Amino acid sequence: MATKDVTITVVGSGGDGVVTLGELIAQVAAHEGLNVIKTEAYGPQIRGGESSCTVRVASSRIYSQGAAVDVLVVFSWNDYKRFRGEISVAPGAVILGEASEEPPSAEDLGVIGGDDLTFLQVPFAELSKTATGAPGSKNVVALGILGGLLGLPTEKLQRALARKFGRKKAAVLEAVGRAFQSGLEFAESRRKTFESRRLDYEPGPSRLLLSGNEAAAIGALHAGCRFFAGYPITPSSEILHFLGEWMPRAGGAFLQTEDELAAIGACIGASFAGVKSMTATSGPGLSLMIEMIGLASMAEVPVVIIDVQRGGPSTGNPTKSEQSDLLQSLFGTHGDAPKAVLACSDVEDCFHATVEAFNIAEEFQIPVLVLSDQAVGQRKETITSADMRHEVRDRRKPTEEELEEYERYRDTPTGVSPMSVPGMKKGMYQTNGLEHGEDGRPNSLYLTHETMNAKRYRKMWPIRDRYHSFRCFGPTRAEVGILCWGSSAGPVQEAVAAANARGESVAAFVPQMLYPFPKRDFERFAESVDELLIVELSYTAQFYKYLRTFLDLPAGRTHVFKRSGGKDLTAAEVSDEIEKVRARTARVEVAG
Amino acid sequence: MSTTMGELPAFQPADYKSDLKPVWCAGCGDFGALASLHRAMAKLQLEPWNTVVISGIGCSSRLPGYVSTFGFNGVHGRALTLASGVKLARPELTVVAVGGDGDGIAIGGNHFLHAARRNLDVAYFMMDNEVYGLTKGQAAPTTPSGDKTKSTLWGNPEAAVDPCELAISFGATWVARGFSGDPKMLVDLMVAAIEHPGFAFLNVMSPCVTWRGDEQFKMLKAKLAFLPPTHDRTDRTAAFRYTRETDVLTTGVLYEVRQPSLVERLEEVRKKAHEVGGLATTADILEQLAPAI
Repeated sequence: MATKDVTITVVGSGGDGVVTLGELIAQVAAHEGLNVIKTEAYGPQIRGGESSCTVRVASSRIYSQGAAVDVLVVFSWNDYKRFRGEISVAPGAVILGEASEEPPSAEDLGVIGGDDLTFLQVPFAELSKTATGAPGSKNVVALGILGGLLGLPTEKLQRALARKFGRKKAAVLEAVGRAFQSGLEFAESRRKTFESRRLDYEPGPSRLLLSGNEAAAIGALHAGCRFFAGYPITPSSEILHFLGEWMPRAGGAFLQTEDELAAIGACIGASFAGVKSMTATSGPGLSLMIEMIGLASMAEVPVVIIDVQRGGPSTGNPTKSEQSDLLQSLFGTHGDAPKAVLACSDVEDCFHATVEAFNIAEEFQIPVLVLSDQAVGQRKETITSADMRHEVRDRRKPTEEELEEYERYRDTPTGVSPMSVPGMKKGMYQTNGLEHGEDGRPNSLYLTHETMNAKRYRKMWPIRDRYHSFRCFGPTRAEVGILCWGSSAGPVQEAVAAANARGESVAAFVPQMLYPFPKRDFERFAESVDELLIVELSYTAQFYKYLRTFLDLPAGRTHVFKRSGGKDLTAAEVSDEIEKVRARTARVEVAG
Repeated sequence: MSTTMGELPAFQPADYKSDLKPVWCAGCGDFGALASLHRAMAKLQLEPWNTVVISGIGCSSRLPGYVSTFGFNGVHGRALTLASGVKLARPELTVVAVGGDGDGIAIGGNHFLHAARRNLDVAYFMMDNEVYGLTKGQAAPTTPSGDKTKSTLWGNPEAAVDPCELAISFGATWVARGFSGDPKMLVDLMVAAIEHPGFAFLNVMSPCVTWRGDEQFKMLKAKLAFLPPTHDRTDRTAAFRYTRETDVLTTGVLYEVRQPSLVERLEEVRKKAHEVGGLATTADILEQLAPAI
């Protein structure tokens, strides 16, 4: 009996090659046309120390990282213990532990479903030593074992390995090949034990394996972004890396700035000069940018900011995900500062949301925030390149007529004023962070402030009407309706599908536009369900609080499931909560 | 843009003057700086629509409004961040950043250092009045130690910094000091700064009659000195000799070297990247990211 969906986790220390191992399996599976989600987890030190890599491989579309691990590879039990409470092992799992280590107690494993486990001591280090003379190729031995166990094509695994070590000497390559072979042979010798974990699939066209951060960066280039400025911060730096490589190839400008203040400032300057601009950061960096996001609102300069959220406040949990930058994104700016906020739920979404953010920013001359998070930003997921298409709209140039007696901030019926750029002879103006009149000159009269606030906020209405994007899962009428956003959507979608398969009536509503919120669409959804369940990874339930600022959530039938980030949401958790709501035992009260 | 002999220049200083009346106090040194900028722009015959004047916040940061070019009066301390974006996005534009000493050294100090380090192709004019004027007279990083201000009633307990010294230390390739009371020299300095390829920093001593009194102007004028003709502008060590002066105030170009500017360096980066291959479509990127098998 084989499987159509398997989750593998490898745990070790920095230097064990845990991440390389996961990457190779994921690449080969993607090349086979399988669906893959790959995540990595680290201790707080970001470099060095314990690391784990989880790869879920399935023959049909998957939406979240597996809730529990089917195959666990542990190079070091000490490192494993540092992930206590973060790795759940599925009943019947296969556990491969380094043979030179003391096997763990059942308690140490934190195992669910204990009796069904298959626990094997594997001499990873010894096999590596025999093959290469050193224990350092444990991960290559494990690649052979896992490749054999899953039934991935050997020649593809070998090619991937050769590409990875391609720059090494022939002798090294040969030794690595032997290590791989010894792993394969080990798997062959345990063929019966591993049979249930063998993947049952038909090879299909090769898929792309991308991280959410890469997809967002591609989205920016696709949208015509030709200026990027940013400051390194986990977990958003991959966007900086990607655009550092590709922006010059696209003929654009890339600048690694001295801090986040400079990054957003440079983007506003570049956009003022007529070039589509973006920066990317995480919570602490966003806090630094907030003042100048207000400048972009006030001076009406289009700019896109991607926030790959991590745990907060302060330095918080830099390598872990959380959905707690929501209120900062929506309300962080002082004054009344119009902006739009979008969310991404998966890797493909990071592409679409970024392009859409540019479309909105450029049309309405506002800052647009894209809320990603560590869970989607850093995970790698298979996508099809055909899905990476999105309409691109450019900034409208002022007409000749508009340039006669040009006023940059003309109070138009839509609130959008013609925006000239340097070089336009008749379009000269001075822009201002100070409140200004239609000509852009400082003006502190009450009436001007009121008029210009109204003009700037008038732009939000068409956004609300035209960009009310959201997703729904499940039946059109349901007993339980889940409301969530961002990376919670994947586990929620899988939990809804599982509930529906059990014959339970559960649906979900996931807004992609967070501000302006697709209010009417949501209200229709809320009316179509008996009980409403809000799911989010924020200790103080920021999403629930935000909704309450403009919605009357149905009294007596609204439930909130919230917890801190630090561990990705799983479909199993959501399923449990659905059962509680159905049994009317879910939490309603919210602390903080 | 240059004109041929005998032709009248297309742009007069008045062409760069906006019809907005400065908010500055009568006697403010910034008037001298503004008039010098109008004249410098005319000397260079800058096309106003291809020129951007960018500032942060403070009395002197109101200046973009008084110049008839494109202008951006941004937020406190961030003029150079905006200027970086404008210049790197549109290298063909002439970008001038202006502001005060508090804006550029205190809240914006980090950007000042890094603009100098990067050799950003921007002329930066810092109108230095040694005090916070707009917020009504508090001590600035340039206020001499011991001075009484609104925030240092018992005398300034901190040491002052010399912006020119900072600029040279961090790699600015053109550094000069001028005095708003000497507009003839100031015009020449501004012209040279705008023409310099790379980061050109001009510290304009610009007295504040309101918060530093007539004394400041008199004292600056009395201390005014000029670089000896033997001064070697390319000699970094020699340049430092004219910083942190107490008894005199030496004006002129302290330091000038030619090094690749940031715009030039980014052009080199683009060339290298294009040797690997330019970007045609999103599909091209995706093709290159396909699994490496």
